[in-house]
Amino acid sequence: MDSSEQFRFIEWPMPFLAIVQADLQNLFRSRITYGWLIVGVFLQVIRVLSAPAAIGTAIIVVQGLSDFIFIWSMLIIGITASAVSSETGELADSIMSKSVRRHDYIMAKFTSRIMYVMTIYSLISAVLVGASLRMMENDYDTNGLVAALLLVALALVMLTTLGVTLSMVTSNTVISIVSLLVLWYSMTIFLPLLDLEFMSPSSMINELPDIIQGVWNGEEWKIATSFGGISIITMALSVLYFSTKDL
Amino acid sequence: MTYVVETANLTKIFGGKLIAVNNMNLEVEEGTIYGFLGPNGAGKTTVIRLLLGLIMPTAGSIKVFGERMNTNSAHLRKRIGYLPTNPKLSNKMTPITYLDFVGKLFSQSKDQRISMLSKLIRSVGLLPSASREVKGFSTGMVTRLGLAASLMNNPDLLLLDEPTSGLDPAGRKSTLDLIEELDKEKTIFVSSHILSDIDRICTHVGIINEGKLIYSGSIKEMKKHIQSNVLRLELDGDMNTFCNRLASIVGMADFERRGDFTVEISFVSDISTLKAIQDVIGLIVECNLDLISMNSSTSRIEDAFLKLLEEEESRGFVRAI
Repeated sequence: MDSSEQFRFIEWPMPFLAIVQADLQNLFRSRITYGWLIVGVFLQVIRVLSAPAAIGTAIIVVQGLSDFIFIWSMLIIGITASAVSSETGELADSIMSKSVRRHDYIMAKFTSRIMYVMTIYSLISAVLVGASLRMMENDYDTNGLVAALLLVALALVMLTTLGVTLSMVTSNTVISIVSLLVLWYSMTIFLPLLDLEFMSPSSMINELPDIIQGVWNGEEWKIATSFGGISIITMALSVLYFSTKDL
Repeated sequence: MTYVVETANLTKIFGGKLIAVNNMNLEVEEGTIYGFLGPNGAGKTTVIRLLLGLIMPTAGSIKVFGERMNTNSAHLRKRIGYLPTNPKLSNKMTPITYLDFVGKLFSQSKDQRISMLSKLIRSVGLLPSASREVKGFSTGMVTRLGLAASLMNNPDLLLLDEPTSGLDPAGRKSTLDLIEELDKEKTIFVSSHILSDIDRICTHVGIINEGKLIYSGSIKEMKKHIQSNVLRLELDGDMNTFCNRLASIVGMADFERRGDFTVEISFVSDISTLKAIQDVIGLIVECNLDLISMNSSTSRIEDAFLKLLEEEESRGFVRAI
């Protein structure tokens, strides 16, 4: 085994982990995070408290989760679409000129932004689900509730990977944010018209009440596969593209 | 002879429009301090970014430490330190957290990182600001921190891109002092358009103009290349009499007055320059002038640089061949 191979196997994780750690520290120290958490939790609590108990868990949870697809998605777009472009200046100077391989960097960015979005999503949706289970009439199926939460999580992972990719491709934060806004909302509007509603986040929201109540119709697998597939393909293409990009 | 950096027909064209580096064959020997000189926009930074694998050549090849450099050559970059022009650092970091982060990017253990960063923070004089956020730092402090970061991995090759750019005279001096103090075993590649900096610290020099390397060799050779036997004098007193009598000095080819106090005298090349200088000094004494300063233009790197640029530009179409 030559020295470069040893390097590959023994030392691979450290630059990757350092970038993930630095990125997460920056994100969790920002005021946006505190604001998002406070407003997100407050809205879910108010939603549950102000709804009549008879409305049931399924509807309240779907309403709460749809916030992530229609409202919080804008914040996620802002955060993910600036992942690479916001550090264009220091990217080459401080990071890529060191002992970092291109795929370490881009995978670290995907990892940190997905971890961040998932952490916020988990905290806010935990409050939503906890409060609605306590206050609402229970009309849910446990497996269905978990599946619904996972489907929304997959949609957010897809949005995050698209955001980081656009940020890397355009190297301009404003352009990547606008492109992602157009892409995300046109997916919501146009994909159902093309008979591809299983790839549309808004169509997924329409399926959620049935899924939470344990009524399975096979669409949930198509949705999960398409969201997961888009995320994986986007990440793979990003790694390939970033490997040859001039910085 | 071992070359740390070797490029063969290196060419970089941006977007099919701008030829930034033009068929460059560059060789940097191990253990030298190589000054990379050129006017603004000549392509110096592009060459450094190519050497680091941050951008890929359009044509030609780059070898660093004998291995081909590409975007994923992290094992080669592990042996390279890089100081960019006016380094852009994360504002929220302090020198300690920044250098620790850089150490992690070089896969250093915690012990290695802590020992190296504490040594470097002291060396670059940032100890009093070690826990302050970078956002309040002056250009000089950021440059010194950048220099510390470039040394975190104890590199064999150090690439310094205009290290004195934007610094005041004190900052410039301290940065050049730091570079001079570096381990003599390192190969240092310094780009600059400040000729006196290069003259002070470098052993070898390369001159780039419009993306093309027009000279590469030792500084001594470069100065010899333009040897023109010119003496520059700054005098106080009756300059008119002195100038009128200059024609009587054997071997004087020409003289030119520059302002009220300065005169440049050139000598024909086939006489003893020492004898001519003795005669000129004798004349200064006879004319009762005060000698403020005297220097030989042959030792000035500015003249060598400008002469090479002029020569290169005067070659016209032949430059392409």
